[in-house]
Amino acid sequence: MSDDVVDVLIIGAGASGAAVAWSLAETRMRVVCLEQGDWTRPSDYPTNAANWESQAHGPYHIDPNVRGLEADYPINNDDSEVIVVNFNGVGGSTILYGAHFPRLHPSDFKVKSLDGVADDWPIDYDTLEPFFEQNDQIMGVSGLAGDPMYPPKDPPLPPIAMGLVGETAARGFNALGWHWWPSDSAIISQPYDGRDRCVFLGPCLSGCAQGGKSSTDITYWPKAIRRGVELRTRCRVREVTVNDQGFADGVVYYDENGDECLQRAEIVIMACNGVGTPRILLNSKSNSFPDGLANRSGLVGKNLMFHGFGYVQGLFEERLDGHKGPQACSILSKQFYETDPSRGFVRGYNMQISRGSGPLNTAMAGYMDGSIPWGPEHHDAFRKRFDHTFAIGIVGEDLPEEHNTVTLDPKLVDSSGIPAPKITYTYSENSRKLIDHGLARGEEVMRAAGAKEVMSAGPLRPTGWHLLGTARMGDAPEKSVVNRWGRSHDVKNLFIVDGSIFVTSGGVNPASTIQACALYIADSIKKNLTNLFD
Amino acid sequence: MSSETSGPFLAEPMKRLLTALLDTLIPASPDGKMPSAAEVGFEAYLHTQAHEYISALEDVLQSFDSNFSDLPPNRRHELLEHFSKDRPAEFSSLLARVYDCYYQDNRVRGEIGVVQGAPFPQGNDVAQGDLSLLDPVMENRDRYRYRSP
Ligand SMILES: Cc1cc2nc3c(=O)[nH]c(=O)nc-3n(C[C@H](O)[C@H](O)[C@H](O)COP(=O)(O)OP(=O)(O)OC[C@H]3O[C@@H](n4cnc5c(N)ncnc54)[C@H](O)[C@@H]3O)c2cc1C
Repeated sequence: MSDDVVDVLIIGAGASGAAVAWSLAETRMRVVCLEQGDWTRPSDYPTNAANWESQAHGPYHIDPNVRGLEADYPINNDDSEVIVVNFNGVGGSTILYGAHFPRLHPSDFKVKSLDGVADDWPIDYDTLEPFFEQNDQIMGVSGLAGDPMYPPKDPPLPPIAMGLVGETAARGFNALGWHWWPSDSAIISQPYDGRDRCVFLGPCLSGCAQGGKSSTDITYWPKAIRRGVELRTRCRVREVTVNDQGFADGVVYYDENGDECLQRAEIVIMACNGVGTPRILLNSKSNSFPDGLANRSGLVGKNLMFHGFGYVQGLFEERLDGHKGPQACSILSKQFYETDPSRGFVRGYNMQISRGSGPLNTAMAGYMDGSIPWGPEHHDAFRKRFDHTFAIGIVGEDLPEEHNTVTLDPKLVDSSGIPAPKITYTYSENSRKLIDHGLARGEEVMRAAGAKEVMSAGPLRPTGWHLLGTARMGDAPEKSVVNRWGRSHDVKNLFIVDGSIFVTSGGVNPASTIQACALYIADSIKKNLTNLFD
Repeated sequence: MSSETSGPFLAEPMKRLLTALLDTLIPASPDGKMPSAAEVGFEAYLHTQAHEYISALEDVLQSFDSNFSDLPPNRRHELLEHFSKDRPAEFSSLLARVYDCYYQDNRVRGEIGVVQGAPFPQGNDVAQGDLSLLDPVMENRDRYRYRSP
């Protein structure tokens, strides 16, 4: 194997790895992707069974420490106010994601100029616009053109049915005179590109048996493989190696039999997400890079951002059919997205309407909070709550802070013996104020929409689904890890395309922007092929 | 009795005790539309879906007197309430299994308006929603302009 040199070696087959593989395939370079997990079978997803709710606590649980599959690596969250969630397999975290698919806003790329905090991105919305568009086409995005909160965009498919939940929330926003809009969703509302439409199974967050949800195993990967990309599954990368000239020359990985292998490459692309990528870079120590690969700035693993997440639930007299999916996609509001200094914090948040839960989760949650007792009162209380609630998720911008980190745990290792990541994270005062504000506004919406009971909580802990900022992009090598087109400042043939490169988090779910960045970086590689390593 | 056996795992009087316990956790509704948790095949559920829970359940059952099933419902309720306070983790894991089984039952599902069996492939119908509700947003579109850097 060691004599075999591929042109491009991608590590990680998730949201960004799939997009970059597909895009680079047209160059006819030899592209290989190593993915530590395997293909998932839609026929194994929980919604194939009547006990879908309890099954979601098994192999498709969102927390890798609970799931504990062979493909997973443990994560030490002990010193973190947020628990990291993910999925490791072809499709990466898009297997379990909610597919709520907003883009970052133009202002998100310029927070230093606008609000005097953090840093501006070296690129802007306009740079990414064609790649947002391309990504929407390939993923299959449903939405409605005309949202005044964005520059013009035109999703390829009509919006996902907002349902009674969306209508009820919309009436609340209208009563207050606040913005709302049907969510852009990476879920197909009509048959598209050989896939059948969403049939509203409900629980998108444990895999979509129908294939209506656009995870990259069914969008990008079949196309990339048809274009000649080789995807090797159950191959876990331990480290990226460098040659005497300081170029990355390959990776050491464990194959499906656990054998140690070496794969040489001309270009190495990291796509392991905002936790997996710094972990591997920090584990790639050499004489040239004693503190980890591409880490002369000392910033690999620093500036970890999630999105603070708050939750407001309303209980309604009327039935809202909330257990019918898609859970995370209905409508949203950007009323409080942009900075207003009078609020006492900078930046803002998205209000994301999510639908209700299934019967088991409703009954158990009701037991925990005392609203649905067991015993003779059970049926009555259950009927009043089941399908009579919806929630508003407050997804808030989380500004970068160097003390929020991914480091290597000194003791914990995965099943291949590779050091596991340790997360150190606290919410900033700004993030807390922002979430508090969002919770209060969410309660207002619920009341305006007619809720007879409202409860709110946050920021919540098991919400580390957006993993950002740990190998940030920038023009200055001492203040960033990669340049404006994703190339490491220190290692000229090493690229990073996942959420690690985010300079700031924005206040929306990141998958759309992560993939647009990956396509943009692939495009930059293609445009610069002749002088790629200059 | 060992949890390794493949047939019905409980002998009398434990069987009666379990029935009484289930019936106390979720009694049938007064109008008879919702069955009791003792009527939805809990033993079969344990064998097919929650085998790993059987020995924990046996422990739970051991902590009740065998005359539990002969007590009036309100007394059984009281005793279970004590148990839930004394041993909250065990109680909530019992309840999770009972609810899991109960809300898979087709009669129950029919009554609460959930598709019978697996959600896939039949799926659900969801109202498209009235997009004319967006009119006020469109009328005020200038107020909502995105911030241009
Ligand atoms: C439950 C959940 C809900 C979410 N909901 C939303 C949502 O509604 N909207 C949204 O925008 N985002 C959502 N997200 C986040 C979104 O899925 C991620 O931001 C996105 O998938 C990240 O893309 P990525 O390419 O950076 O990493 P991933 O998609 O996580 O892919 C990384 C891949 O790298 C592989 N890998 C890691 N280390 C190695 C190694 N050493 N060797 C080989 N392979 C490796 C992993 O196995 C994985 O497959 C959600 C995430 C979760 C978990």
